[in-house]
Amino acid sequence: MKELLKELCMTDGISGDEKAVRDLIISKIKLVCDYHIDNLGNLICFKKGKKTPKKKLMICAHMDEVGLIVTSVRSDGTLTFGCVGGIDPAVIIGRQVRIGEKRISGVVGSTAVHNLSKEQREKAPTADSLYIDIGAADKSEAESCVSLGDPVYFDSEFTELGSHRVKAKAIDDRAGCAMMIKLLHESLEYDTYFVFNVQEEIGLRGSAVSAFSVAPSFAIVLEATTAADIDGVTGEKRVCELDGGPVVSFMDNRTIYDKELYHLAFDIATCQTKTMIAGGNDAGAIHISGNGVRTIAISVPCRYLHSPSCVIDMTDLQSSYKLVKILARRIPEL
Amino acid sequence: MDIKQTVIALSEVSGTSGNEEAAAQLALSMLRQYTPDASVVNGNVIGRFGVHTDGLPSLVLDAHIDQIGFVVTYITDEGFVKVGSVGGIDRRLLPAQPVIIHGNQNIKGVICSVPPHLSHGSSEVLSIEDVAIDTGMSKSELEQFISIGDSITFDVSCRQLIGSRITGGALDDRCGIASVLRALELLAGAKTAYNVTVVFSTQEEVGERGAKIGAFTVSPDIALAVDVSFAYAIGENERNCGYLGKGPMIGISPSLSREISDKLIETAKKASVPYQLEVMSGLTSTNADRYSVNREGAKTCTVSIPLRNMHTPVEVIDLSDIETTAQLLAAFIKEG
Repeated sequence: MKELLKELCMTDGISGDEKAVRDLIISKIKLVCDYHIDNLGNLICFKKGKKTPKKKLMICAHMDEVGLIVTSVRSDGTLTFGCVGGIDPAVIIGRQVRIGEKRISGVVGSTAVHNLSKEQREKAPTADSLYIDIGAADKSEAESCVSLGDPVYFDSEFTELGSHRVKAKAIDDRAGCAMMIKLLHESLEYDTYFVFNVQEEIGLRGSAVSAFSVAPSFAIVLEATTAADIDGVTGEKRVCELDGGPVVSFMDNRTIYDKELYHLAFDIATCQTKTMIAGGNDAGAIHISGNGVRTIAISVPCRYLHSPSCVIDMTDLQSSYKLVKILARRIPEL
Repeated sequence: MDIKQTVIALSEVSGTSGNEEAAAQLALSMLRQYTPDASVVNGNVIGRFGVHTDGLPSLVLDAHIDQIGFVVTYITDEGFVKVGSVGGIDRRLLPAQPVIIHGNQNIKGVICSVPPHLSHGSSEVLSIEDVAIDTGMSKSELEQFISIGDSITFDVSCRQLIGSRITGGALDDRCGIASVLRALELLAGAKTAYNVTVVFSTQEEVGERGAKIGAFTVSPDIALAVDVSFAYAIGENERNCGYLGKGPMIGISPSLSREISDKLIETAKKASVPYQLEVMSGLTSTNADRYSVNREGAKTCTVSIPLRNMHTPVEVIDLSDIETTAQLLAAFIKEG
């Protein structure tokens, strides 16, 4: 699964520009299921199982990642940008980026620390004070290489840390995509819909549409979620822990989860839950879709979410996958 | 020599202040093509160029070999690596930066970043005491590979930007080293007006300490500190900056020798090398400050390559400035 995750993370796809990721996923699953692409770009797959359940089950993950988008070219050849999804400017400043299909290299620079006042050195940057430098001498040189609306990605390597952790961009939510691709290759007990959604990071938009068209009774949302088990953070503020197994939430900012499904997960496997009410994911759109959908979210704990350097433990990805595989058999029997 | 390849190779080797060995060895191997007897003397790489003739004034071409970074100060029970800073670090850009800890093998890690739900969107910047590195390893695993005192650099590779510009880490001052090497190549076989010695000095970023002893060892009459200076970019004060691609910045300052500044300007004009002036009002915060007051004193000037985003993992230079800086240095040394 590590190689698959690497391939997915190194492919670029901000919200609204998921084509490359979708094409990669299609290349991996086209022989094992039926699929179609809807008007928004969601990839909706259906795989026959041994039995057809009375109530439909949908498993989903989102294809898009956070990034930037070019909003203007200034007279000096630098680019202004907007943030696509929630990104802390502290993880944008001082980074290499690449722009558009041609993967033009650029940097997000900053005033040299030597030239900052004492107060300025202690003040976190704001996104609108930052810009992208692609080395262009002026506006026309820049415009020959990039266009307004071009997506901008973090130029971040996939790196193994220690014996079973990895660092990459876009683990949120290529980790979920990786689990679904793997599960699509297994033989299933029950017919299952697998949906790869677009536009999660800008407000759970793809899932609102795909949940309506699939109209499931049950949904399993696969995600990566904030782990803050880092130095100096104690107690409930750690939220969840790497190497602590799948994260199953009872509640976040967008969803109060189905209690029976929540307890089922804990009955099946060693899980953890989040110790703060924080974040939200496609479950927020799915559980209130149509007549309502009984929904559970299974997340891989992930440090430094929405940064170029997301870190997860591969053991959590494996244990989350095992849990999902069992849930796909157990939920239709409820 | 291929300037781009040279500067990229130099920029991607590690050498924080006090831990310059790897960078110094690479620079030494490059320097030996032009000064075969070059060696490392108390950390500094020193090489005498060509045949030194009695009666000629002596001149040092200095560029510093060290770079900013961090040093391991402690490993927590949970396996996080705590650090001290080496040189001027911009702490605003540290969250989630990838780094390499140079232990008995290179260990990659990420600087911990407090997620937004804990910072509540506050605009506080990490203090250096709060910086911790996540390596994915436990304390006992880590202790097999790293020790307190090991150096840490940003994990960054160079990238080509549009035209002749590149980005990378440690271009400050590896582009100065590349420029000095290129000047020696231009001078190969030529008669020089000075007895030239090259010093690639250590510990500039923590207060020009390598240059202090290097200057004493070589004892030059004239010293040119080949370093970087601020290139104009958004957020910088334009009147204190040079521009990328417009040639070396010749220093003028009460602490520098106006005679040498003027000679450099004259040389640039004569040789049709583009140049810019960098006027400072006191000390230069470069190795020039050490050479000028060495022993009985030396006539000293700065020759600086314009660079954006100094001391970040995304420094930007224009390769043409390395070439024109080398041309200026070579012409100056030839003509006298």
